[in-house]
Amino acid sequence: MPPKVEATVVDQDAQKYEQLHVHEVYEQIAGHFSSTRYKPWPIIACFLASLPTGWVGLDSGTGNGKYLPLPADRPGCLMTIGMDRSQNLLNAARTAGGTDVIREVVRGDVLDNPWRRGIFDYCISIATIHHLATHERRKLAVQRTLQAVSPNHGRVLIYVWAIDQDELSKRQIPKDNETRAGQDVFVPWVLSTQKKSEADSVQTQSQVYNRYYHMFAEGELSALVHEAATELGMLVDRESSNGDPGTRGVEVVQDGWERSNYYVELRLWENGQI
Amino acid sequence: MVRLITHNLLSCHAKGCTTNNFPLQFKDAEIEHREADFNPEFIRGLLPKIEWKALVDTAKELGDTSLPYEQPEMMDDELLKTLHHVLLEMHVEEGQMICPNCNHVYPISNGIPNMLLAEHEIA
Ligand SMILES: [Zn+2]
Repeated sequence: MPPKVEATVVDQDAQKYEQLHVHEVYEQIAGHFSSTRYKPWPIIACFLASLPTGWVGLDSGTGNGKYLPLPADRPGCLMTIGMDRSQNLLNAARTAGGTDVIREVVRGDVLDNPWRRGIFDYCISIATIHHLATHERRKLAVQRTLQAVSPNHGRVLIYVWAIDQDELSKRQIPKDNETRAGQDVFVPWVLSTQKKSEADSVQTQSQVYNRYYHMFAEGELSALVHEAATELGMLVDRESSNGDPGTRGVEVVQDGWERSNYYVELRLWENGQI
Repeated sequence: MVRLITHNLLSCHAKGCTTNNFPLQFKDAEIEHREADFNPEFIRGLLPKIEWKALVDTAKELGDTSLPYEQPEMMDDELLKTLHHVLLEMHVEEGQMICPNCNHVYPISNGIPNMLLAEHEIA
């Protein structure tokens, strides 16, 4: 049995909390983590396969860069640039895909905006926003994805961990069935290292690292996107041809649950000036 | 690796720095050339996102003067190949990128640019 997921409370400055319980943990476990994360989730692979040749995108919180080589059947037709805070994960992301192709990666924070505004055609944020320790910070991260892409045709895909886990997942999630709210938890990562002792016997040492997650409740991601977009002056609706010129909006293309995650796919639009 | 495709998308995001913050200027750049598969359709799709003048000026800073100063209306195969080389085959492995407005320094190490800001520099 894997160690238990336990409820936690963010009891200090959110940024310091993330530094301690997210960033420092990933620097430590990067090598091991990277070797276990190579299979892309179907919805994300499908999303990337649907994009036209010549599009450039941002993978915000790229981790070990497993989405950078996609789409698999049209290599080199998209350019996805990976951004992450962890130097050790970026070192792995650089060579993601296992070919000798070098990937574009940048060290940066998902709450910053070191890009020309709206310059990307698409942005993916996979298993990242759930590591931010307050609602406000998670909302800002969503807003950064909306600001990164073209207001005219940008596409966004966001994936976060769900409180409702797949039956196959061995994780037991503490949850409050009364409130149906999201839940802050520590998810343990066991890092085993083998050491040879003097008598040539191999000793295994294991250390447990607790990573912070905010596990999303049903409907929480959609509500977050709604709030984030509205605050930026965007309608959350389908594009309508009779709107005022200059009206900006974001259409929810799909919104669902896949293998213990909630996801939302968005398309930005704006009404042309007359 | 900062290739010029990435460089052309980055801009300074330090606190209060909102004008004249693009393009970042390379300093002490160490360049490696790596061949990449040529995909003319990809380059054509990419072009609307590229700031031509910034690309030409930056390539020149790095010692490559193969691009015309004015963006041609018609893109023939030869020009697409030149663009392919400038955008995708020149890797800046070490060095710095400096903001033309506030002089903020973004270091590049082992091919990875560091765009993180110190707490007091975040907008
Ligand atoms: Zn600046």
